[in-house]
Amino acid sequence: MLANRYSAPLSHPGWQLVPGLLLGLGLLILVAFGLGSMLVTAGSADVASVVNSRYLRGVIWFTVWQALLSVLLTLLVALPVARTLARYRQFPGRSLMLRLMELSLVLPTIVAVSGIIGVYGRQGWVTALLNNWLPGHSWSLYGLNGILLAHVFFNAPLAARIMLQALESVPSPRLRIASQLGLRGWWAWRSVEWPALRPLLPGLCALVFTLCFTSFAIIMTLGGGPAATTLEVAIYQALRFEFDFPQAAVLAVIQLVICGGLWWLVFRQRLEYSLMPNRHFVQGVQLKAWPGQLWFSTLLLAAFALFLVLPILAIASRGLPSLLTFTGHSSPYEQLLSATGRSLLIALPAGLGAVSGALLTLASVSKARGRLLTAIPTSTSYLPLIVPPLVLGTGLFLLLRPGLGNNAQGWTLVSLINGLMALPFVIQVLRGPLARLDTHSRRVADQLGVIGWYRWHRVYWPLMRRPLALALAYGIALSMGDFGVIALFGSPGQPTLPVLLYQQLGSYRMSDAAGTGLWLLLLMVVIFGLLSVIGRPPAHHRYKTVRQPFPEPEHA
Amino acid sequence: MYYRLSLLLLALVTPLTARAADAPVLNVYTHPSFAADWGPGPAVKQAFEAQCGCTLAYTVLDSGGDILQRLRLEGESTNADVVLGLDTATMETARQTGLIGKHDQALDALALPIGWTDKYFVPYDWGYFAFVYDTEQLAEPPTSLEALINAPEDLKIIIQDPRTSTPGLGLLLWMHSVYGDEAPAKWQALSTKILATTQSWSDGYFSLFMNGEAPMILSYSTSPAYHMAVDETDRYQAVEFEEGHYLQVEVAALVAPSDNKLLARDFLDFMLTPDFQRHIPLKNVMYPAIDLGDELPEVFDRLITPDHAFYMPPSEVAGMRRKLVDDWLNALTR
Repeated sequence: MLANRYSAPLSHPGWQLVPGLLLGLGLLILVAFGLGSMLVTAGSADVASVVNSRYLRGVIWFTVWQALLSVLLTLLVALPVARTLARYRQFPGRSLMLRLMELSLVLPTIVAVSGIIGVYGRQGWVTALLNNWLPGHSWSLYGLNGILLAHVFFNAPLAARIMLQALESVPSPRLRIASQLGLRGWWAWRSVEWPALRPLLPGLCALVFTLCFTSFAIIMTLGGGPAATTLEVAIYQALRFEFDFPQAAVLAVIQLVICGGLWWLVFRQRLEYSLMPNRHFVQGVQLKAWPGQLWFSTLLLAAFALFLVLPILAIASRGLPSLLTFTGHSSPYEQLLSATGRSLLIALPAGLGAVSGALLTLASVSKARGRLLTAIPTSTSYLPLIVPPLVLGTGLFLLLRPGLGNNAQGWTLVSLINGLMALPFVIQVLRGPLARLDTHSRRVADQLGVIGWYRWHRVYWPLMRRPLALALAYGIALSMGDFGVIALFGSPGQPTLPVLLYQQLGSYRMSDAAGTGLWLLLLMVVIFGLLSVIGRPPAHHRYKTVRQPFPEPEHA
Repeated sequence: MYYRLSLLLLALVTPLTARAADAPVLNVYTHPSFAADWGPGPAVKQAFEAQCGCTLAYTVLDSGGDILQRLRLEGESTNADVVLGLDTATMETARQTGLIGKHDQALDALALPIGWTDKYFVPYDWGYFAFVYDTEQLAEPPTSLEALINAPEDLKIIIQDPRTSTPGLGLLLWMHSVYGDEAPAKWQALSTKILATTQSWSDGYFSLFMNGEAPMILSYSTSPAYHMAVDETDRYQAVEFEEGHYLQVEVAALVAPSDNKLLARDFLDFMLTPDFQRHIPLKNVMYPAIDLGDELPEVFDRLITPDHAFYMPPSEVAGMRRKLVDDWLNALTR
């Protein structure tokens, strides 16, 4: 046995530990370079000036406050939605709704925000209805209202999706017992749902908190004025407009400390493992409903679907006129198609890279022993979220000094960084399922000598294909919609889709820009749809899961 | 298999290297709206390549600030020969990097509302900051800054943030030029009218103004030219303020460490000829830096013509900016 132990490709234990370690190390070096270079360029950092500035104290306070409120509201919306979706597993339009929930996070901010404004703004559809029904209302989107609304729109679907997967993975015996005991309401929550959700909540909160903490364009467009300013805005201002590197570095460190501290707490609790657990299809077991629950649930899901779909409809109604122009030189398709090609050229490798990076990181985390060694790969899973992109970009630039005269080189780099930025999300999607691959089959695989590549192929792949497909879709779509990275590095002339969008915006081509936004949206629908089909297990697998009303846990 | 693959790779790479060896390449760092397919970039490239026997290559960065940032990061080893797309707000910082060379041009052809004597930067277009309004929503817009400040609260305007946007900073300087030390108080009075202070001009124009959220937005006096000439609508017009308007000048410069200085100087020369400038009015939606005579599109005759142009020299802007922004923040967050 030992003789052929290391003969399988990629079977040496080092293959699991080292690549993820290197990735984490590389990222840490990048951040250190970015921050370091900013500190070095202009001498010493003046921490006191930040602490003493009324404005900056206000910024930090506001940033934390709006992020906390956003987390709270996001959970408040996501929790009932996830519970309801977990309870009703078969109703028409359910999978459509799941696709819809995947969409909001990956839409480019400016597109989504314009949709939100089209619905809730002063001239929006909902506001028009309010004006009719409640003439004296004082609803205004601009201010904290708008920020929270947009943050819930972006994050609640993600949160609900993650919670749903946790609820769906409640072991069926537990569900069966709860059902037999007739538990409902509070008791069902206490005995079934809360235990499933509790371990993932800290990680989920940290994720949403971080996303809202570093929110930028939403805050500025909807915040109503400089009273609504996040640290990220202040960093951008210091770095891009004042070239005040020490101040930018101090602010970036404050951001790293607050968000990083939060993640440190989460990981210290070791609760993160189930942030996105595997889906076990448990069918036929239903908790007892309280009277009127069906009505309430229908109403809740309809409201949530409406909440998600209205801004998308607004985007569509704005973008359609441009996309329906097929003839003449004003037809947008020539530019759209070539930009789509370039975007795919960047996003596909970025998505694949993010997924591989995530797998390497997770493998490395599971193999690493000792605090420091674990901390390095772990940092990959949140660092890209909390380091301001400008700092990361500066670090990368200094490290690699790319000659962007060469197209291929520049684009490889953009693809690489996009993959890096997508890593945290992809890791969240894969972490749970990978950790849940049961120890028993792992041990059997060990005994049979199914190791290295073969283990991946035979044991992990069949169980992982669905989460992998979802992770890949997130990776591709996030890179596809990204504008920041490519703007940072500069593109050689020909635009990708988001760059095309911004070019159109910068040149008054507002209806074309709306068309491009809608095109991007449709493309993302296609990506998620296609990959959800690819992720579906082959027919004979499905047959088994569908026909067996109470499938035994996979390790039984 | 690998053999074939490497052949394929070789075939892909060869044309890149071969082309690079043929003619000198002039690298221009610029921003997206200049290099866009419908912007002046492609036509300028074609016209310049026809006369220079070189290749003009654009590297597109997000904004003037990014161009500058990139230049600073690359330092002496930069690939850039020319930077195009800085403005009066970034000029001084750019000069201080020591990476900008003197242009040594005569600049006689320039036709700006102010005299231009800068030794480093060559203007290629200009315009006034102005409020653009939707005539269908607002029949009678305020006709002065003072009237706007004192307008009833239900008049809503969209502005951009001076911390992140060029027009935003433009309004800050405009207010300062008109009101001096009184500006913070005037900002406080204005604040009740401000619906949103967006990160960039695009955010405000696309998400808010074109969605009809507010009838007035801070933009350029030349914006209506695009709507009239290309969208063929007179719906959006700029309003002329009695106090006068703040001037925006976009500039290019040659990069000191460049190995292609001769070519770069040729490009700056070319920049002030009709072959370059004729693409500015409708493709960059600004005034050309030279007198185009009859070539200036007809819609430009229908734009506002402010009596007075405010303009602060870049060095003064650089010295005051932080204080002005801080005063503005204090006035609006109190």
